[in-house]
Amino acid sequence: MSELDELAQHDGVSVATATWPAPGTGVYTLAPPASRQRRYWNLLRDVSIAQYLAKDQSTVLGLVWTFFNPLFMLGILYVFFSARAGEGIDHYAIYLLIGIVHFTHFSNSTSGAMVVLYNMRQLTCNTVLPKEVLVIGAILSKLPEFAVEMAICVAIAYGSGVRLGWGVALLPAIIAAQVLFAVWAALLLSTVHVFVKDAAYVYQMFLRVLFLITPIFYAADFVGHSTARFLLSLNPLAQLIGLSRAAILDSHGQSLPFLLVVIAANGVLIRFALVFFRRLEPKFAEYV
Amino acid sequence: MSDSPPAVRLERVGKIFSKERDPTSVYRALKGGLAAALQSAESVRALEGITCAVACGDKVGLVGDNGAGKTTLLKIIAGLYQPSSGSVAVDGDVILVAGLGIGMIDELTVEQNLLVYGAIHGLTRPEMRSRIPEILEWAELPGLGAAKLKTLSSGMRSRLAFSAMRTVETTIYLLDEVLTAGDRRFVDKCAAVFEAYRASPKTFVVATHSIAFARTFCNKVLWLHKGKQMAFGEPDMVLDRYTSFTGEPRLA
Repeated sequence: MSELDELAQHDGVSVATATWPAPGTGVYTLAPPASRQRRYWNLLRDVSIAQYLAKDQSTVLGLVWTFFNPLFMLGILYVFFSARAGEGIDHYAIYLLIGIVHFTHFSNSTSGAMVVLYNMRQLTCNTVLPKEVLVIGAILSKLPEFAVEMAICVAIAYGSGVRLGWGVALLPAIIAAQVLFAVWAALLLSTVHVFVKDAAYVYQMFLRVLFLITPIFYAADFVGHSTARFLLSLNPLAQLIGLSRAAILDSHGQSLPFLLVVIAANGVLIRFALVFFRRLEPKFAEYV
Repeated sequence: MSDSPPAVRLERVGKIFSKERDPTSVYRALKGGLAAALQSAESVRALEGITCAVACGDKVGLVGDNGAGKTTLLKIIAGLYQPSSGSVAVDGDVILVAGLGIGMIDELTVEQNLLVYGAIHGLTRPEMRSRIPEILEWAELPGLGAAKLKTLSSGMRSRLAFSAMRTVETTIYLLDEVLTAGDRRFVDKCAAVFEAYRASPKTFVVATHSIAFARTFCNKVLWLHKGKQMAFGEPDMVLDRYTSFTGEPRLA
């Protein structure tokens, strides 16, 4: 019998009333017991703040670089693609900026969260706490800059003469949907990264592909009515970008029911991702 | 205390580590599946057949040479490692203090780290903030709350970890070599804290190389050697056998 078979057949650990129940024990349910809910949210908030402060973002220079990156991308893409890909798109610069802001947030937050169990292995290996708070905290630590960047998009749109509609009020919900999307993706990615370290390099390659197969600098109909168009419709990031563009640039184009479906779908996917994460969590301290 | 209900119960606990601890690759994972990629041709048996019951309020010393399996056993009790065989039952809130630090973030300040530490152990920010001056005072680090954790020496970190641990309310303490990094004065301060804990109903499992500490603080000792349980019971009986085995002089 192999060691892994033996591992799989272990008789188990049971923890009755520990501060944070041992992972993988069955005691550890998706929703912590009511008495622990407050502690759980306090911990998640403090871990998110800690990860935010640990980055350069907490300094003025760090903030400047954070916003410089999407603006630099905007400049490059606008110069090269506005003539053809941007043909027929109103307010192409803002259209482009919204796409870049969404993509940059998803890329940065999931890349950071993917490696957080490894980067914070002192906590992963030596501290008794629900490990998903490290991953979710890494995503939430990127929320302030995402929210500010979206607010800047709205301000630029308003300054450029775009007639803002009530759909702008949906932006917080769209931002929440994007965070939920990043959370379930990060839970899956961080779990894989514990066991397969070069998955981080593969993910960086995937992100480059994702940039191209997401309508950031082109409109969805740019690819024609083909298989590519169908694949675009399956791209969750494309849907979220579309919702933001509709909310800011199209005063009549909002779809509240669709947004609610997107949020609900991401909520369900988080539950599946948590089951996967917690199933393998007992092995993290050993393999990270 | 032995009549109290068990806080920790270990039955035939074993742990096998894969010898090859290097990370696997995407290629290997895709080729043979993740389980096969993680499997190593060779393995190390870190623990074998550990069986003991720690009653509520017990102070258990874990002794043994380096590599005996003390840290592995503490991590299994803490739920950080899964046992490869046997079963573990823990009834109570667990805190693990391992190594030199408090398991935190080097880039943050001491105060920010303590806030996270408090949150992990169920303290709100105001509660922890009110305790920080005393924690720093006891650790002899006054005025260093705003210093980055990475600027602290190993001795300072050790004092901070121990000082922070004192302020957290829990029922089961798992301590791994917490007295190894400090100077004489710090060890004496810790001894006073342990003396206060000795009469408390808190449960302690302490990995230590100090025979004197195990004799004075513990009411039970578990001796491990190369992952195997050599003896478990009264400190004098176990420590006499241990010192005879290692050739160390017996300490009163």
